[in-house]
Amino acid sequence: MNDETKQKINKRYERELDKGERFWPDTIFKDLITSLAIFLVLILLATFIGIPAEPKADPSDTSYIPRPEWYFLFLFKFLALYGQLPLIGKIEWIATVLIPGIAIGVLTLLPFIEKNPNRYYSKRILPISIMTVMVTGIVLLTLMSEVPTVSEDGSTLLGTLQTTVGIFIPLTAYILFAVFKSNTRLMLWTTSLAAVSMILISGTVLALAPEKKTEETEVATTLVDQIFAGQDLYSVYCTECHGDDGSVAVIQGVEGLEGEEITPINSRDVLYTITDSAMTEVIAYGRPNAGMTPFGKTYGGELTRSEIDYIVVFMRYMWDDRFEVPAEALKPLFPPLAQGEVPSYDVHIQPIVKRYCVSCHRAGKENNNYLMTSYEEILTTGDNVDKNIIAGDEGSYFLQVIQEHAIMNPEAPDEELIGVMPPNRALKSNIVEVFFRWIMSGMPKTAEEAGALSTTPTPTP
Amino acid sequence: MFKNIYDWLDERLGLNDLYTNLLDRPEPKTTWWNTLGSASMFLFIMQGLTGIFLTVYYTPSPDHAYDSVQYIMEGVAFGWLIRGIHHWGATLMVVLVFVHMLRVFYTASFKFPRELTWLIGIGLFLTTLGMGFTGYLLPWNQKAYWATTVGTQIAGTAPFLGEFILKALRGGPDLSALTLQRFFSAHIWIIPAVLVGLMGIHLYLIIKHGESHFPTKED
Repeated sequence: MNDETKQKINKRYERELDKGERFWPDTIFKDLITSLAIFLVLILLATFIGIPAEPKADPSDTSYIPRPEWYFLFLFKFLALYGQLPLIGKIEWIATVLIPGIAIGVLTLLPFIEKNPNRYYSKRILPISIMTVMVTGIVLLTLMSEVPTVSEDGSTLLGTLQTTVGIFIPLTAYILFAVFKSNTRLMLWTTSLAAVSMILISGTVLALAPEKKTEETEVATTLVDQIFAGQDLYSVYCTECHGDDGSVAVIQGVEGLEGEEITPINSRDVLYTITDSAMTEVIAYGRPNAGMTPFGKTYGGELTRSEIDYIVVFMRYMWDDRFEVPAEALKPLFPPLAQGEVPSYDVHIQPIVKRYCVSCHRAGKENNNYLMTSYEEILTTGDNVDKNIIAGDEGSYFLQVIQEHAIMNPEAPDEELIGVMPPNRALKSNIVEVFFRWIMSGMPKTAEEAGALSTTPTPTP
Repeated sequence: MFKNIYDWLDERLGLNDLYTNLLDRPEPKTTWWNTLGSASMFLFIMQGLTGIFLTVYYTPSPDHAYDSVQYIMEGVAFGWLIRGIHHWGATLMVVLVFVHMLRVFYTASFKFPRELTWLIGIGLFLTTLGMGFTGYLLPWNQKAYWATTVGTQIAGTAPFLGEFILKALRGGPDLSALTLQRFFSAHIWIIPAVLVGLMGIHLYLIIKHGESHFPTKED
């Protein structure tokens, strides 16, 4: 750039300054308004949208679908689309390093690449066109980042359309730009056509995209929630051996561990001498010599890091006398029944079953195929019973066994067909009462159905 | 009385000179698009302030990071607001810096005499992304852990240097306590220091050359 041009640019700027404004207060005033607006937006976002709760990092959870930060999603998508290309699709570093590297390099050196002093858009239509197509692509790829490239039925239509938006149309546009670069009007037409077609195809992709399955991950954030979550998990995974209050000293009714002597885990011996992290490790890794299987996902179990943490929190607050359990965490398992009130599955049965039965009556356990994890499952009969739950029948096997009457095999009178349930200790009488009323009234599922069946006691005259 | 204090300070600090040199300057007519740069700076200051508050409770170790963030959200008064602003501020800052860069590109404001301002600006853009990348891991939740896993993996595909970059970022072959520690250090010391330095030069250059005018047919 010669001195003459530089002088011309400076003169031109002087003229703009003459009819311009003052930095203070005019320019600063505008800046402050924008900043204030942004501040308000931030407060609103933080208050009304907040930050979604996420479970703790779990390196062993290989089922988690990793995704980068949202502003790298376009690059992630670009990599996925690029990987589908024949031949060069296999050379990963072209897309991960070379192309982004060139893009950033060109962007950085822009003032030295576009050296002409022209600033008006029609005089620099080539860079403007390239940038417009590129930014359109970045925005659209970000929007489409969650759409799979291969549908569940194996069709690659979505993938092809996305590759068209992310690679083919931009590439065609860049080639056309190189041809048309001296014709402003043609350049504008090409840019608009490319951008519009990209937007339309992306719209189609988003419309065709399978509905996003939002996986509900429940994250217990407050202490009370964590205690409840821990209690539920404990009931499912630990009760079988350790009992519902951790007091079991000799395991009963568990195949392979019958009669095994263990330290009651609600005792001071355990709670005072084992730290939280050691306890977490024991649950995760198990105690192979004592017959305790691993529960952490890392070691082939089912529990995540967060879930094991909840169990430890539950044990501490419920059993360790150095911790004070929040009053809220002590609320009863189910609301007490009034006279004549009929319990429902949703309100009464489900929490009881979850606490006392599911530990054994779930898939993968020895239970003669009688599962109890849902309303429908509870109403089934399992392997060798036909009279398990019959509405209004006191003789239902279910009611018999929870009242400590084992069902004998009619063909071999000395043999138990179904033992008493739960095997080691009887249910409390108020819980038996709930089951009794529920089955006698026809097993209502929701609170409304139960309400309709309830009889308000008629006051005796 | 106030006049005397002002005069005393002016003699020593040169307040009047500051006023004429920094504030009382002519500018071309500016539009709302010209406010994006200062808005980015405002966000940086907000991020700095909220970030400082967060470090009071945050613990950069895999054992405690998640719980300390949980405590900020539940236990600390207005902790949720501070972290909420920091979280959304990060997102907005990336958007604003990017849009600011686009504005400069479309109005060709990077041309003579503002080439250096653009170069520094690219540096600011990249450091902002770096802040986002390092900050994302700190809550040590599933999203953070796996985003960093793939992020560092992508960096690791570079030819020849890939493995070195991967190990340098992670502090070993896998994500570990070391990764968290160095991301934390980069997030609160190294990158902000670079960012503040670049921002100082950027501002000086803007004051030196003034804001560019909106280009018309003449330009």
